Amino acid sequence: MGDKADVWQGTLALMVLKTLDTMGPLHGYGIARRIEQTSGGLLSINYGTLYPALLKLEQEGYVSSEWGTSDNNRRAKFYKLTRAGRRQLAKEARDWEQTTAILARFFAPAEES
Amino acid sequence: MTRARRLRALAVRVAGLFGRVRRERELAEELESHIQMHVDDNLRAGMSPGEARRQALIRLGGVTQTAEAYRRQRGLPLVEGLFQDLRYGVRRLAKSPGFTLVAVLSLALGIGANTAIFSIVNTALLRPLPVERPEQIVSLANAAGSRVFPGFSYPNYKDLRDRGGEVFDGLYAYRFAPLSVSHEGTSERLWGYVVTGNYFEVLGVKAALGRVLTPDDDRQPGGHPVTVLSHEGWQRRFGADPSVVGKSLVVNGRGFTVVGVLPRGFYGTEIIAAPELWFPVSMQAEIEVGNSWLDKRGVENLFIQGRLRPGVGRERAQAALDVLAAQLEREFPEVNEGKRATLSPPGFFSGVMRGAVLGFTGLLMAVVAFVLLLACTNLANLLLARAAERRKEIAMRLALGASRPRLVRQLMAESMLLAVVSGGAGVLLAYWLTQLAAGLKPPVDVPLAIDLHLDYRVMAFTCAVSLLTGVLFGLLPAWQATKVELLPALKDESASGGFRRSRLKSGLIVLQVALSLVLLVGGGLMLRALQRAQALDLGFEPKDAVEMSFDLRLQGYDEARGREFQRQLLERVRALPGVQAAGLVDLAPVDLHFGRDSVYVEGRAQERASKAPRALTSRAGPGYFRAMSTRLVRGRDFNERDEEKSPPVAVVNETFARRFWPGEDPLGRRFRLGGPEELLLEVVGVVEDGKYAGLNEEPQAYAVRPLAQAYTGTNTAVIRTDRNLREVLAAVRGEVRRLDPHLPASGKTLEERLAMPLLPVRVAATLLGGFGLLALALAAVGIYGVMSYAVARRTREIGIRVALGARASNVMRLVVGQGMAPVLFGVVLGLAAALGLTRLAGSLLFGVNAADPLTYAGVAALLTGVALLACYVPARRATKIDPLAALRNE
Repeated sequence: MGDKADVWQGTLALMVLKTLDTMGPLHGYGIARRIEQTSGGLLSINYGTLYPALLKLEQEGYVSSEWGTSDNNRRAKFYKLTRAGRRQLAKEARDWEQTTAILARFFAPAEES
Repeated sequence: MTRARRLRALAVRVAGLFGRVRRERELAEELESHIQMHVDDNLRAGMSPGEARRQALIRLGGVTQTAEAYRRQRGLPLVEGLFQDLRYGVRRLAKSPGFTLVAVLSLALGIGANTAIFSIVNTALLRPLPVERPEQIVSLANAAGSRVFPGFSYPNYKDLRDRGGEVFDGLYAYRFAPLSVSHEGTSERLWGYVVTGNYFEVLGVKAALGRVLTPDDDRQPGGHPVTVLSHEGWQRRFGADPSVVGKSLVVNGRGFTVVGVLPRGFYGTEIIAAPELWFPVSMQAEIEVGNSWLDKRGVENLFIQGRLRPGVGRERAQAALDVLAAQLEREFPEVNEGKRATLSPPGFFSGVMRGAVLGFTGLLMAVVAFVLLLACTNLANLLLARAAERRKEIAMRLALGASRPRLVRQLMAESMLLAVVSGGAGVLLAYWLTQLAAGLKPPVDVPLAIDLHLDYRVMAFTCAVSLLTGVLFGLLPAWQATKVELLPALKDESASGGFRRSRLKSGLIVLQVALSLVLLVGGGLMLRALQRAQALDLGFEPKDAVEMSFDLRLQGYDEARGREFQRQLLERVRALPGVQAAGLVDLAPVDLHFGRDSVYVEGRAQERASKAPRALTSRAGPGYFRAMSTRLVRGRDFNERDEEKSPPVAVVNETFARRFWPGEDPLGRRFRLGGPEELLLEVVGVVEDGKYAGLNEEPQAYAVRPLAQAYTGTNTAVIRTDRNLREVLAAVRGEVRRLDPHLPASGKTLEERLAMPLLPVRVAATLLGGFGLLALALAAVGIYGVMSYAVARRTREIGIRVALGARASNVMRLVVGQGMAPVLFGVVLGLAAALGLTRLAGSLLFGVNAADPLTYAGVAALLTGVALLACYVPARRATKIDPLAALRNE
């Protein structure tokens, strides 16, 4: 696993987990809109890619799904974080922070040693 | 992601292969609700309904695309693809049941025949002896010049055993012995082993109950009346009674104590014959009543086998044996001159029969492999034609972006399906065939343990064969079919540049015709051999005669009682209604067990025993030659006046007379049999030559002494009659029973006796002929298929020819010519191959020329005729082509 799509998928998965963590149970459309909003419009994801990503997370046991009714009375499938998902999110967040911290050092103005 | 998570995901995805309908519905609903929510939002943002929906779909990236990406994540695409291919294959096969039936049937026949034959090879040659470390066990054979036979004398055995310790962990010897066993009032004729005391020790066979025989049972000749039972014998005769140890059995008139039972599955040290009782060799004179040979170096009747020392190879052991044989030759030149002991794998009478068995099974394997190959080529042909029908479809799919390997895989799935189904059917067929074969008792007097169960080796073989055939007949057509030039195919042009493909097909036809020709020639030659064998001059008339065999020694008869029994039996049998002649003999022809003795003619220089000329010998009573319808050429038959005290006489055959008194009158001449000190026998009669030990033999010298002057208790009564043979047999058996209710006797007709020597030829004729006809049928179907297809493809061309003035006969010639060219080439090729191969069958042919012109011409004509017919039908169809319709059609 190392090509671009997977990196993007991994990042997308992290965003989905975080969104579910903040927002609570949410349907696919809601997740997509929320990610777009959070990114401040910088990210324009193809909504279709979200569903395989959600399925993968569900297969791995990080999210679970249930049919329910949306705010404006539409039947929709709601996704919610499982306990394993929460743990995974914490771990990935830590990893992410570490990675960004390391990268930040590389891009920071050189400190004389 | 942790490994556990990955495994979980994999499990869910495997589960995702199932429950497809519900999941699809859910997916559709979820996507639909997504779009609806998006449309709602877009409407709220002020878009028109049409635009709202359009935008929602654009942002989603298309419903179909999303669903496909989702499905890829849901299941395992590779497996699903395979399932898809298989499902597609099943559908296509179900759509053409005729093709499928022909394919499965011909393949199943091929695979089944291969499996059945392989299971025979497996039993006969591959399965090891049921002992510890069987690979160390070797057999010794006694070789004198070019003559190899399995027997060794007991004194020679002891010397080899005692001096061979350097290379052998032990040498044991054994011998079959006929038994008459009485137990709880019943009496039966059985076979047992007489073995040396170290037999079980060297083999590493432990008793299942009680103990096995040990060297301690082999100390004192006549002093160890003990026996061990085979597991089967224990179950059959004692109902698996656990208290059998210590019980007593009467064997050949003497009591033996059962000391043990052998483990299940141990059937002795020969591969096909299964004895029930084992005795120490020290008791041989009690078992073989009146025949004591423990101290006779000249009586060579024991099989020797041994276990090689660890790390000792065959070559080293053979070198050591050569040294030992040279020593024995120096020490006992009169019997051991020129003799060597050679090593061979165990089974089949010290490897003496191994060559013949190998040859026979090798031939069978070759035949069935031929047939399978034929079925494969035929199927490949049919598949090629089918693939050509799909040319347009395949081109379309290639044009739409399907990859070629993907299409090959799809086409292969179909052929693999066929192969697997046929493999399954083949195993069933093989099971049935082996059951049939096991049920066919060959006409021999020895208990056979032909255990033809289909073990893992056979199953592995069948799997391999099925898969191989699947690849063999599937890959080539699939590869060919996907090599399509897109444009002409899509434009519906019939490719007239299809010559490459038709060359491949012609090649397959050549191969088929050649293969079936070889098989048919083989079968034809065997039929000719059978015919020849029926017409052989046997030296007796097998029709309208029966025989009844019994062994008085085994019931403990002494000579006086035996003679009395023989006299009374003949008297009673001759008094039976419809009996024309009856006489006793020790061994009736044709029988492999015929004994040979050296001949010393009176008044000639005496040769050393090993150099003396030999003749087949027999003992017979008055009436025997008449009962056999053997023609008396000169002198007289035996009569009642040839008795114990009268001058010793003999009847010889013409070859005997010619060999020992060339150009002279043999009557009144005298000779000795067996040794220079034996009785002088006067020739009183000469009978015609006949076949004695085998139908294949050259004329043999044969001498017969009167039973009255050379008593033996091993007898066969021959009875000639004009009545129903079964009724006469029953009547004779009744007389035997009236004289001695406990004497085991076996009866059959003389023609049944002839069945055994003819068995190999009959089997070969049946197999080769049967497979040959099968091959011919397959080839005919193949030719027909290819030609029909060729005509269909050339409809337009033929239409143009007809339009331009070609007549029906021209068209006929065109098509038949195209079809027959490869056939004739195949016939020539097959004739050449048959000429080469049939030489191998020389010994089975009874003197029929392996290049018998009649057979070759007949088979070639038959094949050509069938091929012509197979071409004629499509050719006729071609002449009926209406040029207008043909030209408009395309």
